[in-house]
Amino acid sequence: MADTFKDTVAIIQFPGVNCEYETAAAVRSVGLDADLFRWNENPELLEECMAVILPGGFSYQDRIRAGVVAAKDRIMDKVSELARKGRPVLGICNGAQVLVESGLIPGIHWERVDLALAPNVMMDREGYYCNWVFLRNEDSRCIWTTAFGTGEIIPIPVAHAEGRFVTEDMDILEEMKQNGQIALRYCSSRGEVDDLFPLNPNGSLENMAGVCNPEGNVLAMMPHPERASWLRQVPEDLLGSWGRKRWRAAGDVSKMEMEGPGRRFFAAVLSREGVK
Amino acid sequence: MKARVELWVRLKVVDLVSQTAWMTLVEKLELGDDLRGLVHYSYWGMDAEGSDGMTILSEIDRVVRMDSAFTNQNKHLYRLIVEGGGSTGDLVLEKDFPMNVAAKHQSERGGIFSFDCLVRELHSNREEGFKKRLNARLKAVSVSDLKAGEVWRVIIRGRNEDEAAKRIKEIIITRSRREGLLLNPHYQGFEIISSTRLEKERNDPKGRVGTAGINPARKRV
Repeated sequence: MADTFKDTVAIIQFPGVNCEYETAAAVRSVGLDADLFRWNENPELLEECMAVILPGGFSYQDRIRAGVVAAKDRIMDKVSELARKGRPVLGICNGAQVLVESGLIPGIHWERVDLALAPNVMMDREGYYCNWVFLRNEDSRCIWTTAFGTGEIIPIPVAHAEGRFVTEDMDILEEMKQNGQIALRYCSSRGEVDDLFPLNPNGSLENMAGVCNPEGNVLAMMPHPERASWLRQVPEDLLGSWGRKRWRAAGDVSKMEMEGPGRRFFAAVLSREGVK
Repeated sequence: MKARVELWVRLKVVDLVSQTAWMTLVEKLELGDDLRGLVHYSYWGMDAEGSDGMTILSEIDRVVRMDSAFTNQNKHLYRLIVEGGGSTGDLVLEKDFPMNVAAKHQSERGGIFSFDCLVRELHSNREEGFKKRLNARLKAVSVSDLKAGEVWRVIIRGRNEDEAAKRIKEIIITRSRREGLLLNPHYQGFEIISSTRLEKERNDPKGRVGTAGINPARKRV
């Protein structure tokens, strides 16, 4: 860990995460430094970092429930404190589960658990689901999606067994909508929001794929932007413009190294001024 | 005849899920003053209909022993109980308490209570799937009203049973980052399916637990 890392994004390594290196590479691809920060390091060292990312994979083997054990870790005291001060915090997949179990998302009542990421509900199957899906960037307060236009369609991979945003408290859901906290919704390649599998790959309420806090600095998203940060990661047969772009780039190494649709999630942090 | 049937399953080896839950409750949520033990089971409860209790027991036992969706003989202990029809399996629930309870129990004021808390997913089709799976394999026995989930046996100190039961809710339901652990109320629910006051058996001078030391009068709730 660097002594000082004001231009550095800290990527928290809980026991069992497995996407930290790809996430660090994606962060570096937009000109930032990325440091892997072990969960048992001195949390005060996070104070100097410009943003915190909780990457995907597993934490503590997802024992009891995905994300819940990590949510109680001492390092999350510091992440919670930084988030409250306005520091950008992004949770991807298991990181999103940690943020939800920490009560940082939806964050209407700070640290109160008002949402769950429940097991997927899919037609004629259960458990883990891995595929490319489409997201629609919603009109929200989220700082992590500012590099996308409202309504822009973002192809991106999902890979999870527990990614269904649900709540038993419909007042909270209504408040989230009014606050502009639903940052990303699952949709078709043309941007139509439909609740049916596989457009909604896990049965999430309101097709929610990414939810931010009321201030917009914390985002929990189930899809993996780091797996869509280079054009070479995009499947050739993907519907829409990104698939066509990838198809045209086939065989040209320099073109394959160009940016993919997910990279702008990380670029958003670079463009933000006055990080507290 | 119709009978209530329960299947309890736990690992033969050290259960890292319950170990992690224990460590989290004691070290991160600082509940060590009250908690005395934690055991984790997979659980299925159902109504079964067959000609008699013995038929129900043997038929369901035949299926759950062979189907890895329920048990795996290489790694699980299980107990299958048919109300009024006996039980089978190598798991002895009545004595399945952590070994350190007795010694601590000697000096406790109030009492030590054990609660079996069934945690289930709300609005899930998993239970329907298990029911279909069983009915497709059973001969001359059918099952209905199946509940599936995990049971946390939480052993806790309390002045009385009511106080201990109230504490159980706080431990189980995750209300915030600093409260509760074992379920998320936005997709899971729980019920206490039995409770036990652990009492030292009079004729056991060593007051051992988990073997013959405790006389757990199990009370269904």
